[in-house]
Amino acid sequence: MSKYLLRRSLQLVVVAFVISLLTFLLVHLLPGDVTTQILGPNDTKANRAILLKQLGLNFPLWRQYLTWLGAVFQGNLGNSYLNHESVTHILATGAPVDIELIIISQVIAFSVAIPLALVTSRKPNRALDNVSTTGTFGLLALPPFVIAPILVAVFAVGLGWFPATGYTPFTQSPATNIHQMILPSVAITFGSIAVYYRLLRSDLISTLQQDFITMARSKGLTSRRIMWRHAFRPSSFSLLAAAGINIGALIAGAFVVELLFAMPGIGLALVQAVEQRDYLVVQGLALVVAIAYVTIQFVIDFIFTIVDPRVVRE
Amino acid sequence: MSESNEISRRIFLSRGAAAGGAVVLAGAAGSALAACSSSSTTGSSTTAATGSKPGVGTGTPVRGGSLTVGTTGDIDGFYPPANHWDSNGIIYANALYDPLCAIAADGSIQPYLCQSVTPNATFDSWTLTLRPGITFSDGSDLTSAVVVANFQALKASLLTGQALVQVTSATATDPMTVVFSLEAPNPRFPAGLTTQVGYVFGQAMIDAVKAGNSNPTPIGTGPFIFQSREPNNHFTVTRNPNYWRKGLPYLDQITYRPIPDTIQREATLKTGGVDMLQSSDPGTIKRFGGRSNYQVVDTRTGVLGEPTMAYIQLNTVVAPTNDLRVRQALAKGIDQAVIQRVFGGGYATPVNGVFLSDSQYYSPTSFPAFDPAGAKKLVAEYKAEHGTPSLQLLTITDPRLGQVVQIIQQMWSQVGFDVTIGQVEQATLATDFVSGKFQAATSAQFGAIDPDLNYVWWSTTTAKPVGSIALNFARNSDPVIEQNMLTGRHASDTATRVKAYQTVNQQLAKDLPYLWLGQYLFVEVATSRVQNFANPTLPSGAPQYPFDEGIFVPTQIWLSK
Amino acid sequence: MPDDRELLDTGSSSQLLGDRFPGLAATDEQIVAMQSDPTGDEDILVRKPMGFLFWCALGWITLVLLASVLANVLPLQSPNFQNYSALNQGPSAAHWLGTDDLGRDLLSRLIFGSRVSLVVGFFGVAIGLAIGGTAGLVSGYKGGKLDIALNAGSFVILAFPAIVALIAIVTFWGASLLHITIILGVGTIPLMFRVIRASSLSFAQRDFVIAAKTMGATDTRIVLREILPNVIPVTVTFSLITLAGIIVIEGTLAFLGLSVNLPIPSWGNLINEGTANNALSTNPYIMMWPALAMFLLLWSINLIGDRLRQRFDIREGLL
Repeated sequence: MSKYLLRRSLQLVVVAFVISLLTFLLVHLLPGDVTTQILGPNDTKANRAILLKQLGLNFPLWRQYLTWLGAVFQGNLGNSYLNHESVTHILATGAPVDIELIIISQVIAFSVAIPLALVTSRKPNRALDNVSTTGTFGLLALPPFVIAPILVAVFAVGLGWFPATGYTPFTQSPATNIHQMILPSVAITFGSIAVYYRLLRSDLISTLQQDFITMARSKGLTSRRIMWRHAFRPSSFSLLAAAGINIGALIAGAFVVELLFAMPGIGLALVQAVEQRDYLVVQGLALVVAIAYVTIQFVIDFIFTIVDPRVVRE
Repeated sequence: MSESNEISRRIFLSRGAAAGGAVVLAGAAGSALAACSSSSTTGSSTTAATGSKPGVGTGTPVRGGSLTVGTTGDIDGFYPPANHWDSNGIIYANALYDPLCAIAADGSIQPYLCQSVTPNATFDSWTLTLRPGITFSDGSDLTSAVVVANFQALKASLLTGQALVQVTSATATDPMTVVFSLEAPNPRFPAGLTTQVGYVFGQAMIDAVKAGNSNPTPIGTGPFIFQSREPNNHFTVTRNPNYWRKGLPYLDQITYRPIPDTIQREATLKTGGVDMLQSSDPGTIKRFGGRSNYQVVDTRTGVLGEPTMAYIQLNTVVAPTNDLRVRQALAKGIDQAVIQRVFGGGYATPVNGVFLSDSQYYSPTSFPAFDPAGAKKLVAEYKAEHGTPSLQLLTITDPRLGQVVQIIQQMWSQVGFDVTIGQVEQATLATDFVSGKFQAATSAQFGAIDPDLNYVWWSTTTAKPVGSIALNFARNSDPVIEQNMLTGRHASDTATRVKAYQTVNQQLAKDLPYLWLGQYLFVEVATSRVQNFANPTLPSGAPQYPFDEGIFVPTQIWLSK
Repeated sequence: MPDDRELLDTGSSSQLLGDRFPGLAATDEQIVAMQSDPTGDEDILVRKPMGFLFWCALGWITLVLLASVLANVLPLQSPNFQNYSALNQGPSAAHWLGTDDLGRDLLSRLIFGSRVSLVVGFFGVAIGLAIGGTAGLVSGYKGGKLDIALNAGSFVILAFPAIVALIAIVTFWGASLLHITIILGVGTIPLMFRVIRASSLSFAQRDFVIAAKTMGATDTRIVLREILPNVIPVTVTFSLITLAGIIVIEGTLAFLGLSVNLPIPSWGNLINEGTANNALSTNPYIMMWPALAMFLLLWSINLIGDRLRQRFDIREGLL
């Protein structure tokens, strides 16, 4: 086990390093830099040179990267050049936003997709299956930035059940927080429901054709027991893989929802930082997000070994 | 979705800094307290709520209550020397700080935090007397030493130093008096004290920054005191119980919530998440105008000085836009009225220059009207010599701007140009402007209380070749403009000044570095509970400029029951 | 009583059943009957005719493809011509699907838009499948160092901040249909890799694979004959999901200015345009038609896939 963890950690470090290096290079090679934004009408050749020096941006790239890396190992991710917020603070305030979005949206997604798939895979092409299929394809055609304004128009402005925008940390006021999180989470969850449902259903239908299911039937097990105890586990691989990708992507990928609902999440911070060439923020956030993403994939891989003990732990 | 005009939206290169930038360089004419430009009275509106004028409170002010305002974006920080504030920055600043001077509703510059500011005979030395007995939110006194320390921090800063170039020194002659010495006579010096560099901040902030804290807690003399702030989430202030304007403010608390997406901001107003919102989308006027439970104030009338203009910026030193005929054809190809109808909700009217028709500097110009036949002729002429003119029209990645460039592309294609559209990020576009690597691009700028504040964008001294940093982005090096800008700055009588700026405007219409698309409108909407958000008064009792290009004053707002 | 592990064992023959559980032995006929009705509820494997819906689906796909290819030849209005006196109109005789907020014909924009979306979608999925799918198939089966390496590679692409990569690529390489397709295709590679690898992984442990190995089958043969057929259903399902995803993401890219130049339409950027600037309230048609078209396309492909799957019943290998 410890060897397993060691190997995984090594993999994580290598991947994180590669990503951080590539991110650093790419973002520094993009045209424009943060001085234009900062200096505004004071943008002159002299001022720019002074500012670059102040910000440590006049050194060769390799030196800047190593300086940054060194700081990272000491736990210092740096500050934004623009509003001086520390990257750590951005993460501390942004991570709860995205974690909550992930938790709520995925709980809803699994709660809907799994039972639905279990039921409809038993009776494919019947009414419920057709409706579900149609519904999920409809959801795939409507991304969050379409669904969110509709949800707000109906449930916030129309019915007044939820606020239209806003974020209060959970620790500050749990009730307000959940109240504000519902619409954004729902906007995200529809896509997840569609993906999970279709994958699980497909796998279940395949599994149900296998002999051991026949065996179970022949032994007189109930359909319910068959589905839950025998069919579900071996059918969950694609679902798990997709969930892993989905959740990882949501860490910093929910930026459209964050923008629309005015929530200070990591996705929004990252996009803004890239657009403003706030290098340290980009690098810091990208690194942490990458580590989190890969860790989630490792967890998924580990879950594979639990779901099917025959899968070898590498 | 209308997000991205807000993702890193600023009116490119903020107005506040531009104001600070050029005014104090100026030596414009007239006495310090003269009107900068004529105007109608307080900011106007489209609808009246409850029979009274929108934004003007009726009845007795009610004390207490908490106001929530939805703003278009967040700011970077509260320390004036380390930021340049756009309109959101000044909105926040108006809660925490007071400016030394402020603009009255008639356009004149009046003392605000200071008691008086008087020039010497040659206008190169200004004596500023502070009001006694004012304290900052940390209990320290407002003294001349603090004002001098402010000045030194601002002058030394890369971001604000430019604005104070012509102020050679600030000296505290006694605890309540500061003397500013200028490099050259500047009769309009106090106008600069209404901008970012005029907002007075506490010594403790300067000390904190020196000690290494780049984000010091704001300490000001303003009507409200800093309570908390989460970037991109909220900024909250509470009532200053020791505010020097007795009896003010009325509100107990204000929370500012940056909500980037306009439609979502409006939805938040409708659901009660905010009581008031700011917007730069004219559609807001349409969506809230005429509704009895909302008050709408916008900048279609009541603008003092020059409004912010939306325009296409042309590069006058690269092909094909370096050819005047091409620029003329491009201008004749644009139908402003259609753009304003389709894109701007029909609220703005075609403009011929940087001045609106109610400005004292307004005059007819030769700015080309919509004339597709004329444009085609010019294009044919150019084509015969150089082949079909082709250019790229750049804009930022914003859905609304994406719309307008498609309209313009069609208009220009119809008169014979070959136009491609490029959407780039704000940072890239800013760099392109500064370095001159563009042919045509959308922009919005030039809002200023005084034309002299735009010197830095129009001067020959700031028109550097492509590849060098130049603030005259269009690189329109016109000695007539330069000469008249300086004349206007130094002129000792109004008539000369007016003539000078009219000439500048007419030259701009001849040179065509800018193709006007119309006034860039600012809107604020509030529920009927919010009283007096567009009716501030100066300490003297005279009415203040109520809605300065998206900036409102929170001091005298109250919430009715 | 047999425990779950034995139940998971596949390929048990009726003979084994009879050996181990006397009295539970089923005849071959009974087994076949059971196999065609695992849960005893519905017979899903009876060979039905393809059905009316199948032909509808096929018809829709054909229609979309033909219209897309022949767009230039069809008597359509210009997709980019803005008619300022016909803004935001609903469906009418002049404009069958209405007009958008700049007065452009929506039917024409829909058809021309299908070009971008179909190319980006199909080729993007194709790239993802060809590279990511193949890699995942092999990697899930082989495991070992290959798997670790490929996994790490896929993580680098997956966990990389997409926005940085996109802006960088578009800035340096330029945005054209080809480039966007390749970018999105490359982005799909790790997705296909992970999902198909998971599926391949789950089948690689099955007894029939072990049995095939024991019988001396080469890896290639096992992958192709034993694992691939079983991975196909999930592959098809996920490909369809990815197709939808790519079309939509291209729209999001358009919003960020990272896609094909304005005013070229695509379903993605039409959906986008239809939600921006309050268009959902003023003119829901802009968003509705491309979403509907995409929905119908997905549904059609899925239906065809399902029917084909039923007809060419994919089972895992038997002993």
